[in-house]
Amino acid sequence: MIIRVEREGGIAGIPISNEMDSKDVPSDLLRAAKKIADGKKSSSPLKSLPKGAADHYTYKISVQDGGNRSVIECNQFNIGDDLRSLVKYVEKNSKQKKTN
Amino acid sequence: MNCKNQTCFIIPEYVNKKIVEKGTKKQKEHAWKNLILTEQLRGRRLVTGLMSSMFSISNRLDRTIFDAQNTETLPGTLVRHEGGKAKGGKTVTEAYDYSGSTYTFFKDIFKRNSIDTRGMRLDSTVHYGEDYNNAFWNGTQMVYGDGDGEIFQRFTKSIDVIGHELSHGVTQYEAALEYEGQAGALNESFSDVFGSLVKQYSLKQRAEKADWLIGSGLFTSKVKGAALRSMKEPGTAYDDPTIGKDPQPNHMKYYVNTTSDNGGVHINSGIPNRAFYLTAMDLGGYAWEKAGKIWYIALTERLRERTNFQKAANVTYAIASNLYGEGSHEQKAVKSAWYQVGINIKAVK
Repeated sequence: MIIRVEREGGIAGIPISNEMDSKDVPSDLLRAAKKIADGKKSSSPLKSLPKGAADHYTYKISVQDGGNRSVIECNQFNIGDDLRSLVKYVEKNSKQKKTN
Repeated sequence: MNCKNQTCFIIPEYVNKKIVEKGTKKQKEHAWKNLILTEQLRGRRLVTGLMSSMFSISNRLDRTIFDAQNTETLPGTLVRHEGGKAKGGKTVTEAYDYSGSTYTFFKDIFKRNSIDTRGMRLDSTVHYGEDYNNAFWNGTQMVYGDGDGEIFQRFTKSIDVIGHELSHGVTQYEAALEYEGQAGALNESFSDVFGSLVKQYSLKQRAEKADWLIGSGLFTSKVKGAALRSMKEPGTAYDDPTIGKDPQPNHMKYYVNTTSDNGGVHINSGIPNRAFYLTAMDLGGYAWEKAGKIWYIALTERLRERTNFQKAANVTYAIASNLYGEGSHEQKAVKSAWYQVGINIKAVK
C-alpha cells in the first residue's frame, strides 16, 4: 500500500504532500491506513471545526492498494489519534516530499 | 416616546439597557425582550454587544501565556499571566508583548475592548507540537509553533503574525466571515490588514515607510524569501526550491479557482490585500487613520458571513463616502484601489 498525506492551510498556506510505502510504516500505525482502505473511515473536512477557527491544517489522506485508491479528508481538530499518529510518522519519515 | 429612523419605542433604548444591567431578574427579562425587538426592527447587530453587558466586562488588558511543552495538548502549562514576572524565555515574552501590542492598537485606534469588545482574556499557547510550522487561531485562543528550524523559525517572532491571529478572533465576533472561497480570502485579508497595522502602529510608521509584509523574518536563512505574503506585491514574498513560489494573485484576472486551502483563502487574499495597500498609499500618512478606519467599519458593521470581494469593495466605498464625503479624495482612493485589482465599483447601496 502507498500512503499519501497532503496537508493544506496553515498561516503560510503552503501545501505539502508526503508519501510512504506501508512496508516502511510500523504495524501499529497501519491500522488507520487499513481502515481508510476498507472504507471504514469517512471524510469530514468541516466536521468539528471550531467556530471562527482559522489558519488550521486540513488533510487529504489517500491509500493506494493495487488498483484501489481510497481517500478521506479531515482537519486538524477532528483527525483522531490514530490518524494523527500515522500522519505525523509519514510527515516526519517520508523521503518523497513535494510542495506546490 | 423614542423615535429613530421612523421606528418608535415606548421605552427609550438607554432605559432598557440600564435595566438589563441593574434591574431585577424579571425586569431584566422584560428589558431584554424589548431590546431584542428593537434590534430586530432596526436590523442592527447591537444585541450581541448588549448581551455582553449582562455579564462581567473587563476594561483591562488581560493576557495569559501557556507552554504546550512541544505536545499538542491545549492550553498547556500556565507560564505567565497579566502583570506577572517575565519568565519562560523570549518566545513567551514575544507572545505576551505582541498580544499586548495588538490589544493596544485596537483599543487606541478603534476603542475596541479586546477581541470580543468585552475585555476577553487573550490566551496564547507557545511551543506547540514538535517542529510545528504554523500558528493558528482555534476559536478561543492563539497557538504558536516553534518552527522546524529548516524552513521556519518560531512563529512568535513576527508581531504582525500575532496581530493576524488575534484579528481572526475579531472577525469571528464581527462579520464572522466564512472560511471558504472569497469570504474566507477576505477573512484572511482582514487579518493581514490589521496584523500589518499593528506592526505599523507599534513602530509609529507611515504607510510609505511600512514593509507591507506578513511574517517577515519567519523563514530561516535557508529559504529564499522575505515573508509569507506581500500586501504591496502579492506573489513576490518568496521563491524557493523547497517551498515553491508565492502563489498569491495581485489582480482578479489571476484569481485562483481551487478547492485547496478552503478555496484558496491564503492565495486569493492577495487581491483585497493589495486593494488595502493601494488605498493606504494613496491616502498617505498613518494607514490606520483613514484606510484602516474604513476597513474596520466594514468588518465590524457592514460585512456578513458570505461577503464576496465585490461586496467588500462596494461597502468600503460607501463607508468612505459616509466618513469623508461623496466624491472625496478618500472615496476616490478606495474606488481606484479596487479598480487596480480588477474590481469595478458601480452601484453602491
